[in-house]
Amino acid sequence: MATKPMRIRAAAKDGVTEVKALIAHEMETGQRKDANGAVIPAWFITELSVSHNGKVVLASEFGTAVSKNPYLAFKFKGGATGDKVAVSWKDNKGESRTDEVAIG
Amino acid sequence: MSRFSKSILLVALCGASVAASAFDTYGIGRQATPAEVKAWDIDVRADFKGLPKGSGTVQKGNDLFEEKCASCHGSFGESNEVFTPLVGGTTKDDIKNGRVGGFVSGDIPQRTTFTKVATISTVWDYIYRAMPWTAPKSLKPDDVYAILAYFLNLAEIVPEDFTLSDQNIAEVQKKMPNRYGMSTDHGMWPGAPAKKGGIGNGGKPDVKNVACMKNCKTEVQIGSTLPDYARTAHGELADQYRSFGPVRGTRTLDGSAAAAAPAVSPEMELATKSGCMACHGVNNKIVGPGYNEVVARYKDQADAESRLVAKVKAGGQGVWGAVPMPPNGHLADADIKKLVHWIFSGAK
Repeated sequence: MATKPMRIRAAAKDGVTEVKALIAHEMETGQRKDANGAVIPAWFITELSVSHNGKVVLASEFGTAVSKNPYLAFKFKGGATGDKVAVSWKDNKGESRTDEVAIG
Repeated sequence: MSRFSKSILLVALCGASVAASAFDTYGIGRQATPAEVKAWDIDVRADFKGLPKGSGTVQKGNDLFEEKCASCHGSFGESNEVFTPLVGGTTKDDIKNGRVGGFVSGDIPQRTTFTKVATISTVWDYIYRAMPWTAPKSLKPDDVYAILAYFLNLAEIVPEDFTLSDQNIAEVQKKMPNRYGMSTDHGMWPGAPAKKGGIGNGGKPDVKNVACMKNCKTEVQIGSTLPDYARTAHGELADQYRSFGPVRGTRTLDGSAAAAAPAVSPEMELATKSGCMACHGVNNKIVGPGYNEVVARYKDQADAESRLVAKVKAGGQGVWGAVPMPPNGHLADADIKKLVHWIFSGAK
């Protein structure tokens, strides 16, 4: 199944860049059952990292406790208008996705 | 002249005289001027009657939304903190079927604007009429088109390079995820059915209250109240309701069912009218800090009042968290001074 694009917004102010991202992912825990009683297989993001001009500024491990279509917001020092911020994730099915925006 | 045409003429004359004397009958009021009617008549109907011309792009809407709307609604319309989310919960199938599947199966986790609303004209009208909360009617039609285009893009109804305008909004209506989700087949739509020219289905409302015209009761009799043993079951109800809007919870912990409503001071009226009370409570945080918190922080500083006057006027961000306070340049300086003084004297 094709992955859906993330929505990312990055804004620099006073030398600090705030990144907000809305990540489209099912984040299925593997604990739920469908209408027939069959377990819905787990499908969730395991790793997520954010880089600024290629340098990693946030690296994280995600798990089943994170909601469907998670929202992530954080700030890092540095960053200027026009720099690239890239968010990428990998999930337990081996799928991955990277989306990039310019700091506005 | 035949008798027939004479009676027509008579009816026409009667009609004219009624229109002319409507304001004279009671000796009050005057005819609204066309400009007044125009300023008031801003509704946009489902058939797009009343929709101003204009257009806006998703990109412009994104920038406007970030500037004016995101502090309450979240950058992607996802925030559930101040209001329920604007966007989310709809699928490609919903857009195709015109009915949000989560409502049919009952497993929708969270209602959002785009899962519920059937007509895009309603969203346009609402944004134009009521948003931003602190400065309603400040958006130009082009701004509203742009913000709406951004919503539609977030809801995956239109692509990122889309330009929404009065020309193509009818096309977008055909893709609204819940466009067939609205029913008039219930008693809330009284009157004749549509095929007889009415707006309803002829259904009867489920209440049968008859307006009393004679021998009416002179006193209100309360039919039922919370029984004493149950009054405190959920704590203080008054504290659990929103502190703005028309509905208040009853005081349950002080024992008296009918605690008299405190008289409203003129400053409180001014604060309500100026939009302050939408975000600040007297004794509690809503979006911004409660007035008691403001006083607690600044009470020992001699120049606090004049500094806060400037701050109310220009807006600010960061002192109380990330949610910014919008600038209030539309308020008169004297009013702002009066309000700040009122806050420091306890906001009674």
